[in-house]
Amino acid sequence: MLTVDHVSVRRGTIATLQDISLSLGPNRTLAVVGESGAGKSTLIGAILGLVPCNLGHITWDNAPVHRCRPALVMQEPRSAFNPRMSLRRSVMEPLVARGILADPARLDTLCHGLEIAPDLLDRRPTEVSIGQAQRMGILRALIAKPPLVLFDEPLSALDAVTQKHTARLIAQMQHEEGFASLIVTHDLGYAAAFADDIAVLRAGRIAEITPSQAFVQTPQTAYGRTLRDAAFALGALERVA
Amino acid sequence: MIGSLGNLFLRTAVVLTGTALATFALLWHAPGDPALAIADARYASIPPAEVVDLIRAEAGLDAGFWPAFQAWVGPLIGGDFGQSSVTGRDVWPELVTAMSYTGPLALAGLSVGLLISVPLALLATQHPGGWLDRCAVALASIGAAIPAYWLGLLLILLFAVQLGWLPAMGARTPAHIILPALTLGLGVAASLTRILRSGILEARDQHFLPAFQRRGVANRDIERDHVVPHAAIPVVTVFGLELAFLLEGVVMVEVIFARPGLGSFLVNAIEARDFPKVQAVVVLTAVLFVTVNLLIDLIYHALDPRIGERDA
Amino acid sequence: MRSVGALIVIMLLLALIGPMLAPHDPTQINIPHRLSPPSPEWLLGTDALGRDILSRLLHGARWSLGLAFLISVIGLCIGTVAGLVAAQGGKLADWFVMRVTDTFLAFPDLVAAVVIAGVLGAGTGSLIFALTVTGWMRYARVARGIGLSLQNRGYVVQAKLAGLSPLVIARWHYLPSLLPSLAVVWTGMFARAILGISALGFLGFGVQPPMPEWGTMLLDARIHMRSTPLQMIWPGLAVVICVLAINLTGDALRDALAEQKDRKGTA
Repeated sequence: MLTVDHVSVRRGTIATLQDISLSLGPNRTLAVVGESGAGKSTLIGAILGLVPCNLGHITWDNAPVHRCRPALVMQEPRSAFNPRMSLRRSVMEPLVARGILADPARLDTLCHGLEIAPDLLDRRPTEVSIGQAQRMGILRALIAKPPLVLFDEPLSALDAVTQKHTARLIAQMQHEEGFASLIVTHDLGYAAAFADDIAVLRAGRIAEITPSQAFVQTPQTAYGRTLRDAAFALGALERVA
Repeated sequence: MIGSLGNLFLRTAVVLTGTALATFALLWHAPGDPALAIADARYASIPPAEVVDLIRAEAGLDAGFWPAFQAWVGPLIGGDFGQSSVTGRDVWPELVTAMSYTGPLALAGLSVGLLISVPLALLATQHPGGWLDRCAVALASIGAAIPAYWLGLLLILLFAVQLGWLPAMGARTPAHIILPALTLGLGVAASLTRILRSGILEARDQHFLPAFQRRGVANRDIERDHVVPHAAIPVVTVFGLELAFLLEGVVMVEVIFARPGLGSFLVNAIEARDFPKVQAVVVLTAVLFVTVNLLIDLIYHALDPRIGERDA
Repeated sequence: MRSVGALIVIMLLLALIGPMLAPHDPTQINIPHRLSPPSPEWLLGTDALGRDILSRLLHGARWSLGLAFLISVIGLCIGTVAGLVAAQGGKLADWFVMRVTDTFLAFPDLVAAVVIAGVLGAGTGSLIFALTVTGWMRYARVARGIGLSLQNRGYVVQAKLAGLSPLVIARWHYLPSLLPSLAVVWTGMFARAILGISALGFLGFGVQPPMPEWGTMLLDARIHMRSTPLQMIWPGLAVVICVLAINLTGDALRDALAEQKDRKGTA
């Protein structure tokens, strides 16, 4: 269980995160939504330990988060892979770090689940499509069975059709693997359709955390309502509501 | 701005302390008993053990590394470079005499370098890629590959031995400076030409220039007001590099031409194992070098506040 | 990169095969034929002790080129490690490594090498030490600069999250990107080492007689400048040709890299 307990992060004199508290259990999905600059990426960095917290604690089952080796799926799928290496080598890195040099069965299961043709693994990141590269990113994130997976705008580099497909695959994998997933996104439609809860981040503070169905019906704050109405206006929420 | 300037001064202080420490550590760990070396240099024979012990105590060598370091650095900060371990005389006056020879030589070398490289670079960039340009680049490449000591010997061979036009060894008359200055200057010219040339070409490439041309500003005015100042920024950097080149060149040139000066002072001190003198030259060079680089950084701040510090 | 490879091969071949091509023993003293002019027997003449200058030049390649290669490669290793420690080791390590680098850069490196080699006493060991200690800083600066620019790349972050050790990350994710730039620095430092070895030899602080080294040969030849001026030409010419070839290779490599970067920028 991920526990973020009254966390604040400062950069210079500017507070980028203030008094953030949330928790997330296995098999649950929390979507963090908000405008750009609200502190979404900093939150991910803080959870992963890449950005130091000035106040508060972040733990997984009462131990520092890095001990559970959380995984990250990045926004730009191609830049997440070393262009000089085959995708297979990159994808295997989390296992290699644990001393496992090959696990064909696991790789097979994941390739099947993520609909990746196994021969794509021998290509370079520039030789596959963006959608394929993103599925490779998810494959790498899941290969070592992490209990916690963070998604940083996982769909925003993809086209509409691929977005839907990828979102569905992520949900399916979560159902099979049971990891806790925290999705940072600005796409309220995606959040509402796939997350259990929605956390609204505004200027470094959490405005509200609401179950996603309830959020679509009645956001608890004025800012939440503004966000929801804007999404409605764009047609992003129609398929959910 | 003030923070980064403070940082700059802090770094300079750290670097100077590091240099002093490294130098002292090197000499402290030099092979052989330093007391014996001093005794040998003074009396040209192996003295009895009591005398060596006396020298050791007198030079503070028995106190251990840190006390000895403090005993050296303390007076140094006040400008006291200590005494020669061989003659017992103060190092500073001898250092001043040496500098009075090296200073003019370095300036003359730099002038020769500028006199050759500036016109050459300007001529070469008239028609980039033309035969003049290619000749200049080729000359500069060859010049950069010629070691100063060989060039010096060739010049002696030609002008002093074969032609007999110029004096070579020593520093008795003003004419004695010509060959050493030429040796230094040709080396400086080689590297300066390259840097000036690419500086001018880069400045011409700036995208604001076509705008001026369209507005009908005369080419000569563009060159004067925009191209030359742009080429000046790398030149500031170059002076830091050229200073290193000059100091290295001076060591070799003074040895070749048997000229008194900092370089031959250093080499003689090393050969005599007169460590206080060696330390003095090293510290002086480091202070000079670091000061010039600090000045360059300050000029950068003034020229372009965006540049926080230079990247090498 | 290919040109640098070819350069390495040529220089190493010269250092390895050169001595085999020598027609005479480079240390064979032959007083009756001292200071002979060039002739079919002694193609470049003999020196003050009657030793064949051509043979000494060819054997000298082993010292001048071989040692310079060794020195520049040791410097490359030290500098790269220092630079990567600075880039990967956090703020404190970075500050410390960069101040050490600054300290070593705060001094004209050849002057420092003269002091170190001179104080430690003439000999090949102190020559190598002196030129290595003063010849690693540029690599460190370049490695750190590129390293810092890489540390926020997606794949480096992913490797860190995966739990790979810094050593493995350095080997597979940093080093391949560093190599082209380090190769350019290396050509410059290789040329510098050749110049440094012969300069120290010329000052009498380097390789010791009777070993034939180009700088030491020049020192010997200088005394007989009046009687046999040609003797002084050869060792210097050998240095100039080698340094020029290396510098031109380095320039070509740098231009090629810049062009590659330009193409990437516009694409």
